[in-house]
Amino acid sequence: MRNPWAQTGNYRTSYVQDTTIFANYREIVSVVLLLLALCILPMFLERSQVLVLNFILIYAIAVLGLNITTGYAGLISVGQAAFMGVGAYTVALSAPNLPFWLTIPLGGLTAAILGFMVGIPSLRVKHLYLALATLAFQEIFVWVVGRSPALAQGAAIPVEMRNFLGLEIGFRNHNYFWYYVILFVLVLMVIAWRNLLRGKYGRALIAVRDNDRAADAMGMDPGRTKLFAFALGAFYGGIAGGLLAYMQRAVVVEEFTLTRSVALLAMAIVGGLGTVVGSLLGPAFIEFLRLYMERLSEWMKANPFVQSITPAGVDVASALLPLSFGLVIVLFLVFEPRGLYNWWRLLRSYFRTWPFKY
Amino acid sequence: MIDFVQNLISGIAVGCIYALAALGFVLVYKSSRVINFSNGQFIAIGAFLAYALAVWAKLPVLLAALLAMLLTAGLGFLVERVFLRRMVGQPIISVIMVTIGLASVLDGLMYLTPFGSGNFTFPQFLPQGGLNLGGISISYPQLLAIGFTALFLVLFGWFFQRSVLGVSMRAVADDQMASMSVGVSVQRVFALAWAVAGLTAAAAGIVVGAVSGLNQDGLIAIGLAVFPAVILGGLDSVPGAVVGGIIIGILQSLSTAYLDGLFSQIGLVGGGSQYVMPFVVLLVMLWFKPHGLFGTEEIERV
Repeated sequence: MRNPWAQTGNYRTSYVQDTTIFANYREIVSVVLLLLALCILPMFLERSQVLVLNFILIYAIAVLGLNITTGYAGLISVGQAAFMGVGAYTVALSAPNLPFWLTIPLGGLTAAILGFMVGIPSLRVKHLYLALATLAFQEIFVWVVGRSPALAQGAAIPVEMRNFLGLEIGFRNHNYFWYYVILFVLVLMVIAWRNLLRGKYGRALIAVRDNDRAADAMGMDPGRTKLFAFALGAFYGGIAGGLLAYMQRAVVVEEFTLTRSVALLAMAIVGGLGTVVGSLLGPAFIEFLRLYMERLSEWMKANPFVQSITPAGVDVASALLPLSFGLVIVLFLVFEPRGLYNWWRLLRSYFRTWPFKY
Repeated sequence: MIDFVQNLISGIAVGCIYALAALGFVLVYKSSRVINFSNGQFIAIGAFLAYALAVWAKLPVLLAALLAMLLTAGLGFLVERVFLRRMVGQPIISVIMVTIGLASVLDGLMYLTPFGSGNFTFPQFLPQGGLNLGGISISYPQLLAIGFTALFLVLFGWFFQRSVLGVSMRAVADDQMASMSVGVSVQRVFALAWAVAGLTAAAAGIVVGAVSGLNQDGLIAIGLAVFPAVILGGLDSVPGAVVGGIIIGILQSLSTAYLDGLFSQIGLVGGGSQYVMPFVVLLVMLWFKPHGLFGTEEIERV
């Protein structure tokens, strides 16, 4: 590696080099630049735009977790929203007594413990069955919340935080304050994610995903590896849920239904399973899709021509969201299974040698 | 005692719906190892097609039901052709996710019709009342559900034991490579499995329409309750699907009768334990007996 700045390919020659996070200085610089850009971005945005950004970053944390369970361990989870919900409700119940930097990790831990329990079947059966375990957990979670007077039966529980180290958090700076908190947590979670998965444990997960019997024969414990992946994925979900609770200043069960779980799965697929870049691109893509679909449906509701061609009793607006979600999932799986990450990769490799062709 | 038996019977009738829907589900899983998450949508589409044919096109109810079943079978066939055949050779996770996406697409398509919201009831085609056996009454819709399921089971039994296609489907379920090498068209079997899944799902939806009203959320919830049924019976067992479905139906009706009060004592108010108990059973089964009552344990080579 003579000149790491002008490096055009992968010249790694030793194992130590292979496990480094950044291949060359340019990657470090680009990550630092991206972070700087994200730090100053809210200064140019309005409150409502920051809100959209907050949602994207929170979902990115949840999708990172999903990328451990689904992307790395190969276990489909249709219960990530429920794990978010566990985190959110833990925060809602403990927020009056504890500071937020304690309640959010607490929410993550509670979610991890429940994730561990849901993942227990992975000690004995393969990934197909696990999808059903997460489905069961998702349904049980929503039901129990809806029936518990202690959790307001699923109606809104306010989560208030008015003050942080003397800084008054009110209507004006709420979204901005939480933007920086969420960004900070996201960076921490990404660092943890990368460090965990580039080492021994990450390789064990890949081995178990690709062939669990072979991994077993080579001395890895597939059941324990998967179980840990499950708990870890749930932990990420719980953290995301806790942040969501503070950011929305309330917890409602509608945020954590099966539909949201499927949306999170769609984000992971669209972004590209098992990648950090994908975990950011996927939520951004899906959230903007949702935003524009909502705008489109509002436009359709207001437009007399559209109203005149739709038969009575038909609600085109509410059809748009599931239709576009499903189509995006199916089309990406059929035509670009590696997701937006692959486009990003192609773009990057194009610019690596730019302006030369090779 | 009378109450208990009464609950048992209504549970069996509901369980027959699950059994019907589970049949097609198990068939798809057996032949192609795909867990179909869009089963509930197929049930809903089948039921709504029957409703549309019976009420809007004013066909006789039985003819409408038959046509709806055939149309939904066609839809299953189409889905296999258009989406799942492209996924051959992809990891099974992607294939399952395609069915999740498909569920969402079908949901959206249903919202484009008037069936997206509101309740619908089939025109009255069964006589009112029911049989009365020593104080226990069985209503005609319940009788229809049980009879319909029994009929389907007999047809399925005949199909898999006697017909060439049925035998080749069993062969593919057993060993794809071996059946390919003796000239069975695996592709055709996959397509047929999806068509049959559509058919049985529509049958289940039509029975729902006969027993109670139709609405989209309710029908899709039935599709979800099929998962506990098939895990209970064993994912790859056809008799298991039927037994599992009926057990889940009984469980639901008994939990409405007996567990709602129990739950409210431990602080979970509002009842409706019938919606959650199947999933509790699903989780417990996965913990202790993941291959179900009749399923085969997988033995793999490295």
